[in-house]
Amino acid sequence: MAAIAPRRLTKELKELTMGECPAGVQLLQSADFETWVLSLEVLGESLYKGEVFALRFRFEPQYPIASPEVTFIVDDKFKAPIHPHVYSNGHICASILGHEWSPVLGVASVCITLQSMLASCKKRERPPDNDRYVRTAPASPKKSRFHYDDDTV
Amino acid sequence: MKVTVKAWHAIAEWRWDTGQQSTPDTDDGEDDVCGICRLPFEACCPACKVPGDDCPLIWGECTHVFHMHCLLKWISTPASKAQCPMDRRPWVNAERKVNLN
Amino acid sequence: MDVDASSPRRPTAPRGLGFAEVHTLVDDDSTREPARTPVGFTVTSERFTHCPPAFKHAVQESWRDAVQQLNGGRQPVTILNAFGKAWEIATAYLTPKDIALPQQDIAVVKAAVDYVAAAQMGPALLKFYDESLSRQIPFLEREIDAYMAAWESSRDVATVRKLVARLFEWGRAWAPAVELGGAFDGIFYTTFKSNLHIALPPSFPEAFVYLVQSTIGDLSDTDLFKELHMLGMLDRYEALVASVVCEQIERQIETLCPGKWDEPRLPELRHWLGDKVVAWLMEQYSRAGTSASNSIPGHNVIVQEAADRFDFHICKTMCDLRTSEIFDMIVDYPDSMPALLDLKECMQRVDQRAHLVTTLRRLNKRRLLHPGADTKDILSQYVSTIKCLRVIDPPGVLLFKVADPIRRYLRERPDTIRTIVAGLVGEGSDLIDETEANAPMQTAVEDYSDPNWEPEPIDAGPDFRTNKPSDVISTLVSIYDSKDLFVKELQVLLAERLLAITDGNYERELRNIEILKLRFGESALQVCEIMLKDMTDSKRLDQRIHSTNPSVLHSTVISKHFWPALNARGIKMPGQLQEILKAYERSYILQRPDKRLHWIPHLGTVKLEIQLKDRRHEVDAAPMEAAIIELFSQKETWTLDELATSLGSEAAVVRKALSKWLDMRVVREDSPHAYRLLEEAEEDDGQTGLREATPIAEDERPAVISLQQQQAEQMRVFWRFIQGMLTNVGPMSTERIQGMLKLAPGYDRTVEQLAIFLDSARREGLVDAKDGVWKIVK
Repeated sequence: MAAIAPRRLTKELKELTMGECPAGVQLLQSADFETWVLSLEVLGESLYKGEVFALRFRFEPQYPIASPEVTFIVDDKFKAPIHPHVYSNGHICASILGHEWSPVLGVASVCITLQSMLASCKKRERPPDNDRYVRTAPASPKKSRFHYDDDTV
Repeated sequence: MKVTVKAWHAIAEWRWDTGQQSTPDTDDGEDDVCGICRLPFEACCPACKVPGDDCPLIWGECTHVFHMHCLLKWISTPASKAQCPMDRRPWVNAERKVNLN
Repeated sequence: MDVDASSPRRPTAPRGLGFAEVHTLVDDDSTREPARTPVGFTVTSERFTHCPPAFKHAVQESWRDAVQQLNGGRQPVTILNAFGKAWEIATAYLTPKDIALPQQDIAVVKAAVDYVAAAQMGPALLKFYDESLSRQIPFLEREIDAYMAAWESSRDVATVRKLVARLFEWGRAWAPAVELGGAFDGIFYTTFKSNLHIALPPSFPEAFVYLVQSTIGDLSDTDLFKELHMLGMLDRYEALVASVVCEQIERQIETLCPGKWDEPRLPELRHWLGDKVVAWLMEQYSRAGTSASNSIPGHNVIVQEAADRFDFHICKTMCDLRTSEIFDMIVDYPDSMPALLDLKECMQRVDQRAHLVTTLRRLNKRRLLHPGADTKDILSQYVSTIKCLRVIDPPGVLLFKVADPIRRYLRERPDTIRTIVAGLVGEGSDLIDETEANAPMQTAVEDYSDPNWEPEPIDAGPDFRTNKPSDVISTLVSIYDSKDLFVKELQVLLAERLLAITDGNYERELRNIEILKLRFGESALQVCEIMLKDMTDSKRLDQRIHSTNPSVLHSTVISKHFWPALNARGIKMPGQLQEILKAYERSYILQRPDKRLHWIPHLGTVKLEIQLKDRRHEVDAAPMEAAIIELFSQKETWTLDELATSLGSEAAVVRKALSKWLDMRVVREDSPHAYRLLEEAEEDDGQTGLREATPIAEDERPAVISLQQQQAEQMRVFWRFIQGMLTNVGPMSTERIQGMLKLAPGYDRTVEQLAIFLDSARREGLVDAKDGVWKIVK
């Protein structure tokens, strides 16, 4: 099957760079159609006020039929937000990135969803199984079978 | 004065009838796009070269419309659970009713 | 001046020395004065008085020896006298004199000379002869002065001819008789000739040139060359003779060749040179050498060598002429083909390639590559240049050097692509031959396995790319780095042409696309294919609609995203026009239930019949114009604003469309922006002037947006893209930006174009360049 990702990502890139980027989101890297990096911050009052996170998107050739792999970047500069659905290795437990992915979603809508996930957080804490998960986690969160205990995200 | 039209060579663009009424006033040049590939309906899906009948649209009973090829690609994946990408309702093809007004 | 008056003096008295007399003198031991002419005697005595003392002494010494030997014991003084007599006779003979004087008896002279030689005084006699020749220059000068003065005043070459004849006469008179032996002859030839040339004034060579010139090709003067040769002029003025011939060649070319390119001139010129000039020269040289002593050794070889030089001169002169004319020859191509072939042949003898290149480049710059020239003209001259230079220089080195500035200039012109594409699809195309158009696009790759492969010519520069296999179209297309621009422009042009077609005959366009597919590749023309498919599909569908629901309307239904941007401006069609459209739409839906039609009301043509009270018009109108007249059929007076509102269009557009009916005097502007239908024709009372006085807002937007407009629009879009990138990613180099932009749909600029764009953004203060990277000015 022909790779359909480039044409779709071209459109998305155009939208993101032409001022249709969601507020608080900035494109940091989009040199190819495999990996993009965006910065993300939660605007308004929230537990994460003033913090800037970075998201790494990895796309397969069959994107958007196949969901993208999305993780928070954890390195010298960025840390994963402390959130019940975000593991300290940056993996995110969010249904839209797993079984509720839909090809009508895209980079911008994923960012907005994650922004609202953070914005609505009441308590800064890691997932209860964080240590165990991080020890055994596969490199790609797409290979993890998350138990989505909160249907709101 | 009597004006008689003897002949008229007129040019038109075709649009898919997506059920949404559009008039010259509302037509702002922005095209309806397929939610999956985000290309205009009147263009063809990323896998096709020729638009129109060779790359038709598909309607769901949920009223959502996609390039047929795009939707079939999605529906054929287990992840889709045979749901409409828009509303996650089970996808059922809708018969198109001809709008004759 | 009367030449004869100054001719050599007539003899004053018959005079001569007989051998018997000399004999007597010797035998008689007589001391009486020898019979003498005053002239001869005077000259002789002068001779002795003017002898250098050393020479005098030597002669006296010799004499003493000679006297002793000759004497054999006899009276020395007698012997001395005998010798003196012999010397005197010999020297008298050897002293050139006025040719008017009678000649001495050669037998006596010979005896005297032999006598002197026997006395071992031969060398002294030769020396005497040499010097006495030199002293006779005044005789020649007198003649020369007289004739040259006559020439200066009359400019009649006959005078020069007479001078030559006269000098020849002097020479012949002074030449020693063959009986005296080769030594005297040798001295005469060197000394006389050199003396003669000392005597000739600086103005003589010019006169000589005129003389030779007047006789070129003319063999009637049988003696001229013989005389010239004897006087040493053929040798001395060989270069002048050659220059005369060369000038003649130049004159011949000057009369026969300039501006005449439609037939070969070189063969004719060579023919003329051979028949007229070389044959004449050959004959003259052979005549010159008729006498054995005068023969010109190997004159055939000399003339052959000269002929070769003359042929070279023909080639050189032709080269110069044709090089100076090359621009107009290219304009005249292919009529100038014979002249080009002449030039090619000449260039094989004369290497003027570099000169040709500089000249043509200079002419191109002055006459072609300036804002006043039409792009179409530049292109067709470029195409002709390609063809012409290929004739002259098949490997294409010259073309490469000449083409470069033209190509660079064309690249700067905004409408170049459009013009080339117009040529490609055959819009009044004289740019490309039918046969050439069918060849697939060639890429210039050297094939060293080709048995006909030749190394690059030596004057090929390092950047020379052999374009042997490429044709004209490829060469034109290769002005640009990418084919994409051509395909885009092609799309625009094709759209214009297709939409103008009303008879459903797309054969030509179909064929064009097939041809272009070969050149640009199938995928590049995908979009054009769809345009053509739309045309054929429309035709079929329209026929089907008409078979069930006949209509006055025939439609062309296009696939929006595969056509260039159309200047779609919605208007509300009034009255029956609207009904016709609606009826057709209903029929369409029956055929295509899943689609709807979206009319593009400013494209197409409506054929109308307008019946007024007193007259009837049949007109082809644009849909907007038809809509306006339809409104007037509903109501007779309208204001501009009413019309615009009614049609849902802009006033400026309506006003422009109105002018059709104003011009036809169907509608009249009673007061500014108020219009009334003229059911009955009204006399023109100058009211129309009112309309003309009001400037009409120009709305000359073409139906299809030109590529240039599209590009400007596109660049604005890309600017936002660039702005986003520089903001989000930070400062970037031009190459990096280019890399990113390449991901954007429809981006086809070169990195150079991008750099120009960025620089203009910098001038506007939008971006800043530092250390090779661009950043947004906040």
